[in-house]
Amino acid sequence: MSWKIKALKKSPWVFHVNTGACNNCDIEIVNCLTPKFDVERLGIKLVGSPRHADALLVTGVVTAQAAPRLREVYRQTPKPCAVFCIGACACATGIFNSGYHVVGPVDKIIRELDPNAIIAYVPGCPPKPEAIISGVVQALSAI
Amino acid sequence: MNREELDNKLSEIRNKLTGIEHTTDKRIYLLCESENAYDVCKFLFEEVGTRFVIASGVDAEKRFEVLYHFAYDSLGAVITVKASIRNHENPAIESIAPFLPGAEWIEREIHDLLGIEITNHPNMKRLILADDWPEGVYPLRKEMDAKLADGWRCKTSSRPPVRPASGRKVPLGKPVLPVGPFHPLQEEMEFFQLTVDGEIVTDIDMRISYNHRGMEKISESLQFDQVPYLVSRICGICSASHPLAYVQAVEEIAGIEPPERALYVRTIINELERIHSHLLWVGLAGHFIGYDTVFMWAWKYREPVLDLLEEITGNRNNYGNVKVGGCREDIPDELIPKLLKELDKLENKTEMLTKAVLDDPVLHARLKGIGILKNKDAIDYAVTGPTARGSDVPIDVRRDDPYAAYGLLDWKVITQPEGDVFAKAVVRLLETLESIKIVREALQKLPKGPVTVEVKEIPPGEGCGHAEAPRGETFHYVRSDGGNRPVRHKMRAPSFVNVPSFRASCIGGHIADVTLTLASVDPCYSCTERLAVVDGRGKVVHDYDVLLRMSREKTAQIQKDLGWPGLKLEDPEIG
Repeated sequence: MSWKIKALKKSPWVFHVNTGACNNCDIEIVNCLTPKFDVERLGIKLVGSPRHADALLVTGVVTAQAAPRLREVYRQTPKPCAVFCIGACACATGIFNSGYHVVGPVDKIIRELDPNAIIAYVPGCPPKPEAIISGVVQALSAI
Repeated sequence: MNREELDNKLSEIRNKLTGIEHTTDKRIYLLCESENAYDVCKFLFEEVGTRFVIASGVDAEKRFEVLYHFAYDSLGAVITVKASIRNHENPAIESIAPFLPGAEWIEREIHDLLGIEITNHPNMKRLILADDWPEGVYPLRKEMDAKLADGWRCKTSSRPPVRPASGRKVPLGKPVLPVGPFHPLQEEMEFFQLTVDGEIVTDIDMRISYNHRGMEKISESLQFDQVPYLVSRICGICSASHPLAYVQAVEEIAGIEPPERALYVRTIINELERIHSHLLWVGLAGHFIGYDTVFMWAWKYREPVLDLLEEITGNRNNYGNVKVGGCREDIPDELIPKLLKELDKLENKTEMLTKAVLDDPVLHARLKGIGILKNKDAIDYAVTGPTARGSDVPIDVRRDDPYAAYGLLDWKVITQPEGDVFAKAVVRLLETLESIKIVREALQKLPKGPVTVEVKEIPPGEGCGHAEAPRGETFHYVRSDGGNRPVRHKMRAPSFVNVPSFRASCIGGHIADVTLTLASVDPCYSCTERLAVVDGRGKVVHDYDVLLRMSREKTAQIQKDLGWPGLKLEDPEIG
């Protein structure tokens, strides 16, 4: 598996999954791609299909309707696949913790499916683009 | 119609009502029994000419209430029809959607969340709750409180979803184009089902719920002062207007007048929000038609606005600055020269961007006549914000029911008559320039003084607050029983009424234009990525990339036909 991990860390391609977020984290993720931060110069690319993804950037609380879809997206990714929980909601459901339609957080849903999944957390409401970039770099160097 | 004439007009329906209440000059409550609600609503919509805002269902212990909120924009008044349903066992009320298509979604929502039977509804399918949600469990009923306190949660099945469920039935053999629910570019999940005939879209249906977090229930468990933090997270880009609308509703209940400086600070933060939101939309619209330069530039010019907001409030988004009775943070006077300087720079860049868009013959050819929302449809679907103003419906809460400091400043409402994507782009770009002017004037006129008054208790009562968010009117209805928490808090985001108008603007258009038309209302879920065209037997013919390519090829073809070499813009910073 080690060569796979080595390959995973070079130019990670990411797929963005919103599971019931307020949009802020999602926009900060897109912000990372725009001229001020421009992560594409580092080889990080947003891809259109989970089958091309080295990492999932997951935002949001995971609502009851989104949970089966999140599982399906994770199933479709080639393994190993790193899961990044972006923002307070994805990390621990945040302010929506008592919501009746909330079944998250993200790590609970992913661990049910794959107990050995690689999961990293970037807290913040929303995390600044700098924090997202730093979180991805730190997590990849720790794997 | 002035206020007196309005009162006279309303007295025509007096025999159907059990009472009329006024809480303030601009808030009228018409009380009636559930059997008469249909007639009263029809009278208000068709005879009085009000705009439907939203309905909210309330579980009032021994009976249910359904509140239909209508806005009479030329007076800035909100007229609420309060229909009470005496039968708590089997509550039912007649649908108003047959004459008011804008009410279709909210009636489905009331059915989902409160279990009120809506009779004669054109499309009664589950809308807001998950496919896995058990039948007969209604989260907004008071009896759910104990169940939820015990930790009850919806269980989800682990089987893979075959295809997202949607409402409308598709005739067998008709090609279907499912859109969503995931799309990698940005924003939320959303599922659209388009029925197509060749290149032409013949029907469209939507399924939401992916993003339903149950905030109205959570709000009932928070104190009045904690709720602004929750509602600022309804939508990250409207995180100034939602708390403002809520706070105005509570201030209406308690009769609180915030100090003048606080009104100006609220205005400045709300307008900065509008600037960054509109620039965000211009960028995305550019991306969808293949002008990625516009995308990158608009988002680059948006960054300094976020920096300014961070400097004022401490956060790039989710400002948490507004509270009942004023603002939490003041704008320091020494920051004002810097803000004014940044605004000048921003104005130059926005003007350049506006010129580039308005003078480009390719954009004229590509965006004009696409996704037209006719004036009549805009009124029937009760759309708000730039979507309405692009269809020549001159409504703007900032002018109609002035709040914050808008009544004290000089600015104008932008409207366009055409209703197509180009008109909406023009409205947004010109509004951005108008917003820059508002912020500048507000900063120059900023009065001295405190930004907050002391608030002790919120008395029993009810209040409606609305504010003009970048996408349209946000509306909050709050009911208090004299305790420290709201007993009912209805929130309505502008996309809830703007999104269903796709039925009017997409049908009859080309598939290549759908991405753009869906994006043109700036939905809080501009579901345009990860679509697939499926033929009658469920075989995938086109995926999302193909559709995006089709949209871009159409632009390229127009460029070629016009003999246009491509987009040429001059960056003031480089040039």
